[in-house]
Amino acid sequence: MTELHRSLRGYQVFLDSVTEQELELIRQWRNDPAVSQFMLSQQLIDKEQQQAWFKKISNDSSQQHFMIRYKDQNIGVANIKACYQGETLLNSRAIEPGLYIADERYRSNILAFAPTLLLNDYCFDVLGTACLKACVKADNQAALHYNSKLGYQIEKQADLVEIVLYKDDYQRQSQGLKALLSRPSLKNQ
Amino acid sequence: MTNLDKLITGFSTALGIEPSRVTDDLSYNAIAEWDSTAHMILIAQLEGDFQLMLDTDDIIDMSSFSQAKTILAKYEVDFS
Repeated sequence: MTELHRSLRGYQVFLDSVTEQELELIRQWRNDPAVSQFMLSQQLIDKEQQQAWFKKISNDSSQQHFMIRYKDQNIGVANIKACYQGETLLNSRAIEPGLYIADERYRSNILAFAPTLLLNDYCFDVLGTACLKACVKADNQAALHYNSKLGYQIEKQADLVEIVLYKDDYQRQSQGLKALLSRPSLKNQ
Repeated sequence: MTNLDKLITGFSTALGIEPSRVTDDLSYNAIAEWDSTAHMILIAQLEGDFQLMLDTDDIIDMSSFSQAKTILAKYEVDFS
C-alpha cells in the first residue's frame, strides 16, 4: 500500500518534511518581499499564525510541505496539495505543487529545477496523480517560463494563469534536465 | 585560437548570441537566451569543445561566463 514519503532524495537535493524547529526560518523567508512578491498574499505572517499553520498541516493528508536542502543547507520550501476538496494526496486526481527558493544564490540557477523534478516524480510515480495544476500570476514571467520548460500547458489565461502538466509531457520535457542533474559526482568516486 | 576565444565561441554558439555579448557579466537567466534548455546545450558544447566531462556540482555552479572560466580552469583549461 502506498504511503506518503516524509523524505525524498534525488537530483542533488533532499526534501524533508518541515519540522517545528524550522518554522521561524520559514516564516522569515515567507515574509521576505523577495519571496512574498510572487505569492497570492503579501500579508506578513506572525509567529502565532505560523504555529497555527503548522498544526493544521501536521494532520492534513491532503498536503505535504518539505524543506529543500542542498549541500546540507536549507535553501527553500516545497509543497504539494490535493486540488479537489475531500481528496487526499494518495487518491487525488490532480495535485498542485509549489515552491520557492529562499537562498538567492540558487534562485537564478539550474539547481532550482531539482526540487521540482523530485516532487513531480513523487506525484506522478508514487502518488499516481493524473496531472499537476498550478496558478501563476500573469506578471511572473520567470515562473511561467520555468514551468513551460517542464511541459506545463496553459489552461486559462487571466490575471492568474492556470497551467497543467500531464505525465507524458513531463517525462518528455524533463529528460534532459534530469540527465544533467543526475550525473554521479566525480568528486565522490 | 586561444582557450578564451574557444570559450566565447562556445557560449555564442550554444546561446545563439553574438560573441560581443559574451562578457564576464553574462549570467544564467539574466538574458532570455540563457535558460534551462540553453544551459543544457551549453554544457554539451563546452564538454565537446574542451573534451571533458563536468561534474554535476560544476554544472550547477556554472551560472555565469566568469564562473565558467573558473570552473574550466579546475579541469586544467588554461586561460592565462
